[in-house]
Amino acid sequence: MTVEFSRPRRLHPATMVIEALRGLRSWSGAIAFPVLASVFGDRSGSVVGLLVVMLVVIAAGAAAWGYASWRATSYDVRGGMFVFRRGIVQKSERSIPIDHIQSVDTVQGVVQRLFRVVEVRIETAGGGSSGRGRDSADAALPALSRSVATALQAELAAARPEPVEAEQAEAAGPTLIRRMGFGDVLLAGATSGQIGIALPLIYGASQYFDNLFSEERIRGLVGSVLPGTFAAVAFILGAVLLLSWLAAIIGTFWAYYGFTLYRDGENLRITRGLIERREVTIPISRIQAVRTVEGVLRQPLGLALVRMESAGYGKDAGVSMTLFPLLPRKAAAAFLEAVAPEFAAAPELRPLPPRSLRRYVFRESWPWTVLIAPAVLVPILADLQPPDWYSWAAPLGLAAAIGLSALYGWAQYRSAGWACERDCIVVRTRRLARTTLIAPRRRLQSRSVAQTPFQRRRRLATFRIEVASSGGGASASLVDMDAEEAFAAVQQLAPNPAA
Amino acid sequence: MQDSTSTGEQAAADAEPGWIEPHERLDRSAITLWRVNGLIESGFTFLAASAAAAVASLFADLPWYISGLPLVVALLVAVITVGVAPTVRWRRWRYEIRDTEVDLQRGAIYITRTLVPLARVQHVDTQQGPLERRFGLATVSFHTAAGAHRIPALREERSREVAARIGALAKVARDEPL
Repeated sequence: MTVEFSRPRRLHPATMVIEALRGLRSWSGAIAFPVLASVFGDRSGSVVGLLVVMLVVIAAGAAAWGYASWRATSYDVRGGMFVFRRGIVQKSERSIPIDHIQSVDTVQGVVQRLFRVVEVRIETAGGGSSGRGRDSADAALPALSRSVATALQAELAAARPEPVEAEQAEAAGPTLIRRMGFGDVLLAGATSGQIGIALPLIYGASQYFDNLFSEERIRGLVGSVLPGTFAAVAFILGAVLLLSWLAAIIGTFWAYYGFTLYRDGENLRITRGLIERREVTIPISRIQAVRTVEGVLRQPLGLALVRMESAGYGKDAGVSMTLFPLLPRKAAAAFLEAVAPEFAAAPELRPLPPRSLRRYVFRESWPWTVLIAPAVLVPILADLQPPDWYSWAAPLGLAAAIGLSALYGWAQYRSAGWACERDCIVVRTRRLARTTLIAPRRRLQSRSVAQTPFQRRRRLATFRIEVASSGGGASASLVDMDAEEAFAAVQQLAPNPAA
Repeated sequence: MQDSTSTGEQAAADAEPGWIEPHERLDRSAITLWRVNGLIESGFTFLAASAAAAVASLFADLPWYISGLPLVVALLVAVITVGVAPTVRWRRWRYEIRDTEVDLQRGAIYITRTLVPLARVQHVDTQQGPLERRFGLATVSFHTAAGAHRIPALREERSREVAARIGALAKVARDEPL
């Protein structure tokens, strides 16, 4: 049987029922009330009558909605495009180039089975939202008869190039690239700085300890060892920090013990985990960008964590994950050369212009100033008679807050840098940890330059790139780059003209 | 700058896109559409503001010029969203579909220039809300694996042209699968 797809086609009329049910589901809040009222309420004639009228109105509305949806929805395949039109109020027409389509799946829900139709889902690489199922598809046709669905699949497959999955390089077998030894994992845990994550653990532990030692016993113990409140507070703080540090080490062992990275032809394979062994395989061709993260505790030791952004489609959506938990910063380039040569760029980075330093320092310090200054000045100026120590401690605190935040701004400025090399863009920024992102030019989904009026006055701009990843993309921004350099970089990263 | 790629110099000779704005504009009636949108929004703002003012004057013992403050703010917001912003926004909004890229410039105060390689475009939508239909306008949005970009308020037939052009170029420019 031949089916003509070159003209707009309607879906199977079962769509009306499916859409009506979907409509009902989304109005279920409104429907719940009369239903509940009819079950639990009093059943006098007028109330029942009103409820019946309401239900009839709702049912009629759903039916009308289903019909209108069906009327508004159509699709066709023309000129290498799959075109999908829908929407009653908000009309939309979506065109998907056929050779971008990665999968055409059919699904049969309960309602579809009843009408002997199938739902057809069309997906493109990394496309759609991050969700699963119907919402993640780029186009979902709720009801087509089996024969039409098969014909549509054939039509779309005919125009689509075969997916080039590299199966030929199987022979070589996996080669070991790098493995975390016991000492590496210990060091990774000790420098992870994940104190925040450990806090709930400590809280749980403290609950447990409460049962073992009564508060009084502890107080007696602490009091006999450390006289004075200040010492006690310092002791407890120190204990909490030590415990959370130990918890972070244990957590790292749990997740990364025996972390091993293999290269298996065109795939990377990672195995890791202390008790629960985990294994993942990622095609190298799916990696979109690599980030080298130097944590606050790791940077002085010359250590870094390497993460990657990868894109997928359909069942294995994109992920952002650890490529290697800990390695010397200097070894990163050689490591990437072995793992994914495309990302092995280690250029000398260009710094930001000196005139943006002021903006970095100011941006970090003004919120603290605005926040803390009134708390410091008002009690003193308004003569609220604060305690004696307040008049010297509070201004000192304010000065410290401003000084530290300014220092942080300066550190951000110092870390910021960028370069274009080997067809890659490299962007380094600091948000506590110093992070270097490396993305090949051909992986960039977009490049932007943005300017606030203040930046315009100083010929500065914010440079931003996007790559594909889970949850609709990952991006890197470099604030206060020289505007001309930013525009030039955007230009330099332009794709090659179509052959 | 030209240290790494051979295309750098030639590209720089072509044009400095940083300084030459994309040349296409949105339809002029976009301004009216945005004004109407702004009017509807400020209607809601006013409702909220009057509720706040009413609560303030009834339950708190405040002088009238303080309890009336929300209304003043709402009025200011309305003047900006209805009177000023649409014109500024329209003047700034530009787009251009080149052979390999789409070039977008938008923003009234915070101006953003974005270039999207056509090879990365997955699919193209045209959308039309009820208000847009009234004005004969439509929005084109094109999706990459990292998110959607929009060109709003185009004449209907123009939106169809733009969508078709982006779609056709995206097909040609696709250099390799993801």
